[in-house]
Amino acid sequence: MKMLVAQIKLMLAAGAGLGLLTGCASTVNTVERAAPAGQRQMVSDKRIITDAGLNRAVRIVGVNEAPGEFLKIQVELLNTTSSLKSFNYRFEWFDANGIQVNSPTSTAISRQIEGRESIFIGAVAPLPAAKDFRLKLIESTP
Amino acid sequence: MKTHIPLRTLSVLGFTSLWLAGCASPQATYVDPGGSRTITSVGTINIQDYANAADTMVGSLIDGVINAGKLESPGGQPAMLAISRIVNNTSQHVDTDMLVKKIRVALNKTGKVQTTTTMGLGGQAEDPLAQGIKQQTEFLQDKKTTRLPDYSLSGKIIEQREQAGNVRQSSFVFQLSLTSKDGVAVWEEEKTITKQGKRSTVGF
Repeated sequence: MKMLVAQIKLMLAAGAGLGLLTGCASTVNTVERAAPAGQRQMVSDKRIITDAGLNRAVRIVGVNEAPGEFLKIQVELLNTTSSLKSFNYRFEWFDANGIQVNSPTSTAISRQIEGRESIFIGAVAPLPAAKDFRLKLIESTP
Repeated sequence: MKTHIPLRTLSVLGFTSLWLAGCASPQATYVDPGGSRTITSVGTINIQDYANAADTMVGSLIDGVINAGKLESPGGQPAMLAISRIVNNTSQHVDTDMLVKKIRVALNKTGKVQTTTTMGLGGQAEDPLAQGIKQQTEFLQDKKTTRLPDYSLSGKIIEQREQAGNVRQSSFVFQLSLTSKDGVAVWEEEKTITKQGKRSTVGF
């Protein structure tokens, strides 16, 4: 009898484990041109990490900019874990004197990133006077 | 052993008082409307959804029209924009200015675009007093000073609902077009915001 109970427990545990693996571990495969035609103009950045868990799931790979009257920024993010992650991000803009430039459309934007997925988030400066930026990332409230 | 009982009682009382103090927080608090602690509901367009849609629209307009040098206006003046019809095809009452005003303000701040308030759809001015003053001025000076808009902004908000089991999903599609005075849509953008949930939740 004890053997039977132990076997049932083992089967249940194996089933649960399999379910967990198939349910959560969906990661992303990608393909792209080996030698991209476009060259990114990378920006030297400074990072302040206060949430190590978020930094694993939403890791900043690099920042690049595009020339123009209005500064255009693009940030590549990579989920180094195998599970889906939700997060919010918000861009802030600063003028040549370091004063923050406010915009009525400035808001936290919600995004999701699949396991091992790489995504790009971007923004265009609201004013020609905006010369610098700051990107804030925060884990999404469940 | 008996001496432990008052200590336990004191501990319980202490925790209870702390718990009560925690519950005595004010029922209403201010939150940043652009932050991530605003209320999110599945079936309605929330304040952050308008800001999100407006942010996408303004970014696209700046990037695709202004930054690309495609914005045309006479004599290097800021281009003049007139607001046309923004159709609400959702099941809820929507004040389209929740979207349009944000876009207008953002464009105005760029210094590249200004919006007319004396010219509107069906001859209805947004600011009737300003329209009256303009007409009086034209009458007294005996000449027309009206500058026609260089562009008009039109659009639509559409809603799509789905349900699977007890999971509800709402999608709100924001569509905008910028039409030149030649009648050509020189810029168009669409932003879809999809929300899913079983009930209203706080946060995104």
